[in-house]
Amino acid sequence: MTIRTRLSLWYASIMFIALMVMGVLLYYQLVIEPREEAHHHHHHERDEEPVDPDVFEDVTSIVLSCGIPAALLAVAGGWWLMKKSLAPIASLTRATEKITAQNLGERLARTHNGDELDRLTEVFNSMLARLDDSFNRIREFTLHASHELKTPLTVLRGETETALRENSLSAAEHDRAVSQLDELNRLTRIVDGLTLLAKADAGQVSLNLETIRLDELVRDNFADLQILAEPHGVEVMLAACEEVSVRGDRHRLRQLLLNLADNAVKYNQPQGSVTMSLRRSGNAADFFITNTGAGIPPEILPRVFDRFYRGDAAHGNAVDGCGLGLSIAQWIVSAHGGKIQIASEPLKQTIVTVQLPTA
Amino acid sequence: MRVLVVEDEKKTASFVRKALQAEGFAVDVCHDGEAALAAAAATPFDVLVLDIMLPGRDGLSVLRQLRERKSTTPVLLLSARGEVNERVEGLNSGADDYLPKPFELAELVARVRALTRRSTENKLTTLRVADLTLDTLTHKAQRGGATIELTVREYRLLEFLMRSAGRPCGRMMILEKVWDYDFDPGTNLVDVYIRRVREKIDAGFEPKLLYTVRGSGYILKEAQ
Repeated sequence: MTIRTRLSLWYASIMFIALMVMGVLLYYQLVIEPREEAHHHHHHERDEEPVDPDVFEDVTSIVLSCGIPAALLAVAGGWWLMKKSLAPIASLTRATEKITAQNLGERLARTHNGDELDRLTEVFNSMLARLDDSFNRIREFTLHASHELKTPLTVLRGETETALRENSLSAAEHDRAVSQLDELNRLTRIVDGLTLLAKADAGQVSLNLETIRLDELVRDNFADLQILAEPHGVEVMLAACEEVSVRGDRHRLRQLLLNLADNAVKYNQPQGSVTMSLRRSGNAADFFITNTGAGIPPEILPRVFDRFYRGDAAHGNAVDGCGLGLSIAQWIVSAHGGKIQIASEPLKQTIVTVQLPTA
Repeated sequence: MRVLVVEDEKKTASFVRKALQAEGFAVDVCHDGEAALAAAAATPFDVLVLDIMLPGRDGLSVLRQLRERKSTTPVLLLSARGEVNERVEGLNSGADDYLPKPFELAELVARVRALTRRSTENKLTTLRVADLTLDTLTHKAQRGGATIELTVREYRLLEFLMRSAGRPCGRMMILEKVWDYDFDPGTNLVDVYIRRVREKIDAGFEPKLLYTVRGSGYILKEAQ
């Protein structure tokens, strides 16, 4: 029950009681008192003069004809008054609802009239400012951390490669250096992914938007998918590829498609399959990619887009990856104003759906 | 061939110098922007390897100053910032290539070598390495008189390798030129395509032409 309804009910009850009291008083004044006076003045005459029924009806009709409209007017006025005074709360609620980690920089509009609600807005705003500050610190930390990691990583990688090139290593040292280089490459991909996401969070990545034929990108991506799938014995199909254009950044959309195609092959099974499709439905381009394989357990599903989150299944399979692929995919889709979803039936199939607004 | 390496991080400068020297380049190193401008004014270099983050005058400013002085020396920018837009900014400021840190040494060497050849790059329509020929107008590949069927992507990969014949090509470089990717997809796409092209041009033929460069890339060449 909203405050407004609750207050209005109370208000109506009070009006009703006031009306009753008014009726009783009126009855007392118009009926009881005149009778007592009459009794006092004419006690010689015949007693027990019957109460005039008309008076009782008069009282009732006065109460009904004047009191009830007055009461209704009062309740309606109160309803309107409450609406007016509670409106800032409603707008405060709407504005607060829109706040997420992405727009903490925004502030709620204040009235500056010094009332309780203005004070509440002020408190909200200062809380937002503190939150915004903390979020920015975390973002900056991630950004700086990924930058700081790059220099030592460059040195490590360069020196390992130099050692390998100089041919002065024993066979065992050589193997060790090659394995280190593999790990360094992985670390590089992680740091690159982290830098990209930290920049995206800080709003420092600008998309190079143009009108793009998504079906051409999908066909192109499908060609790569065929090649990626072949060594794994995975069958690939392009179920549909309807002509559709979107506003987007070519590089980022290709990165998204390749990332999803690569996952569909990596998390597949031998003799499995991958199906892609692109359809146009109204003002949206719907892209699906379905793959067979172990699938994702339902308890893990809500977290697959989280950074570095890996289900036990992925750990067990020893699949190579940086743990940021789906986070990056999600960022690319939302930066294009679209939606990405993932559904999975364990041991059967996993479906990734991407919906982008058309150009 | 003389290369100027401008890099304030001493260890990085040191292994870059070693790697380029090992490839037969004469290498000068300086650690800040002002020194780089002075060195570039004094000596004609064939290629400049320029880090963007330098103490004092940064790499982009050095680059702009060089271009204002009408220097046409090819410049390879290095950057640890790794911003997608920085690459575009660098190229617009007159850089010839851009390599984000951390990079693979082979990648760096391949790019420097590509820049030294840039001016002499041939515009031939028939590319030839040993008895392998590629017609860039008809997209026809032949080896030993036999026609080789190529998909579009395979053709572009082979064309790139043949145009760079004799020089190692890094994975990122291949992804950039053949796929037009500006990101490392973290897949083995290049390796898989190379394997397919190798099957088509080398299987059943001698000598083998397509080799793997240990560490990070590929080279198409006639065997020594």
